[in-house]
Amino acid sequence: MTRFNWLLDGSIVGLYLLVTMVAGLMVRKYVGKVEHFLVAGREMDVYLGIASLAATEFGIVTCMYTAQNGYEKGFAGATPGILMALAMAGVGLTGFVIKPLRDSGVITIPELLEQRFGKRIRWASGVVIVLGGLLNMGVFLRTGGQFLVLVAGIDVRYLEIMMTALLVGVAVYTILGGMLSVLVTDFLQFVVMSAGLILVTILILMNVGWEKLVTTVETNYGVGGFNPFVNPTMGWQYVLFNLMLNTAAVLTWQTIIARVLAARDTNTGRKVYTRTSFFFVCRFLIPGIWGIAALATLGPVANTLEAMPSYLSTAVPPGLMGILIAAMLAADMSTDSSYMLTWCSVIYNDILAPFRKRPWSERKGLFWNRTIIALIGIFLLLYGLWYPLKGDLWTYLGVTGTIYLASISVLLIACCYWRKANSWGAGASIIVSAVIPVSYLVMEQLPATAALAKSIGPYYSGIATYLLSGAAMVIGSALRPQSHLEGRAA
Amino acid sequence: MSRHWFWWALSMACVIWYSTITVYVAIKGAGDIKQMLARLEESKKEAKES
Repeated sequence: MTRFNWLLDGSIVGLYLLVTMVAGLMVRKYVGKVEHFLVAGREMDVYLGIASLAATEFGIVTCMYTAQNGYEKGFAGATPGILMALAMAGVGLTGFVIKPLRDSGVITIPELLEQRFGKRIRWASGVVIVLGGLLNMGVFLRTGGQFLVLVAGIDVRYLEIMMTALLVGVAVYTILGGMLSVLVTDFLQFVVMSAGLILVTILILMNVGWEKLVTTVETNYGVGGFNPFVNPTMGWQYVLFNLMLNTAAVLTWQTIIARVLAARDTNTGRKVYTRTSFFFVCRFLIPGIWGIAALATLGPVANTLEAMPSYLSTAVPPGLMGILIAAMLAADMSTDSSYMLTWCSVIYNDILAPFRKRPWSERKGLFWNRTIIALIGIFLLLYGLWYPLKGDLWTYLGVTGTIYLASISVLLIACCYWRKANSWGAGASIIVSAVIPVSYLVMEQLPATAALAKSIGPYYSGIATYLLSGAAMVIGSALRPQSHLEGRAA
Repeated sequence: MSRHWFWWALSMACVIWYSTITVYVAIKGAGDIKQMLARLEESKKEAKES
């Protein structure tokens, strides 16, 4: 039985939704050009950037899979967060890749790739980015709906209606205000989300207690619950795959990179990275603690993804429950809005580029951007309804993200730092890094090949994708004579 | 807490750091939004005049 109180908690959630929608809609008057819509006129400063990056990269889906990691793997489940924080701090401090990227003044990564590898690679990389990004985002809505239904105790039959209502609300202000609405609502959502996350964590630490959390992990997972290298479900391959995945994400994940591109200048972008880096430890460890608390309280459950929300539905008192749901709605809305805008920017800027023989007027550009966001929303709704998720959520996100992370990170590094890289290598790299993860996902779904996919596992498949994508770039570039290079150095 | 001190220290660091940064970013971020909108308003006016 949930402790959600419709009057008290419902009012908190209602107030949050009202303030967010009003704020999101109010800034639409500042949108006059496509540049305002996609990168907020490049006027974003450090603290707004921190709030926006943190809010974007923490959705309900994040909370669910990191809690699932905590439930299934103990404290060791927070390893990807530590790796991502290290990667982000390293990139922020050195400016590796993000400095030349921001200095170039582009709106998207494929736009920079065109300067070195030509128009076809720009288009192909745009397709790969959108394909990987949308498949990745496809499970956000259902997972978010699942959380809200469980925590608030709403009938599961209303899950689809909730998903639709959530998406329509987000789409309205994103379509009208673009990146400006996203930044302003992200800021509000960061504050609400953080308040909820901190308060619930303190409540859990006080009620369950640190000793019980540790003992639960020791009893269920032994040393492997604290050390990923000796955990039987993780091992070196899990750590290596996550290191590659998170480093590639920090360098190329378009929603993260969008904050660098919207920053006032390169130094601002680097500061946003450095100062947000530790948030990525919190992003995994805080919900991880919630997952461990669920294990300590509920014991073994059939659906590990639902353990944390089921636990919270009974552990969080009225009042705080409203703040928790508002926090999770905030987390989800900020993620959905940023993701829709980001994939829209790539579709408009790169995939539709060949169809713009002459530059479009600002009015026409804005119309198409808004139409694309609406179409992405419809796709998400349909995909979220029928895709049956198998295996754990983090692995699904890792595999679908790898479709583009592997090749685009290789292309971007080569574009910025390797003079011999050319379009043959870039093309080969894109094909290799798309074929392996897509084949793995298909094999996982087909009964005839499901066992083989299971024996290979997502981590070896992921590692192979990154290594072979890099090898394809080197071999492809070596096969083409230097004199045929069509691009110019970035 | 002596057992598995690494995870204890990291968990506490998360709670303390996150609480602090939330308050700090809430204050400074509001200023950033104000300045951003003022700059956009300014450039909008300039564009109209030209």
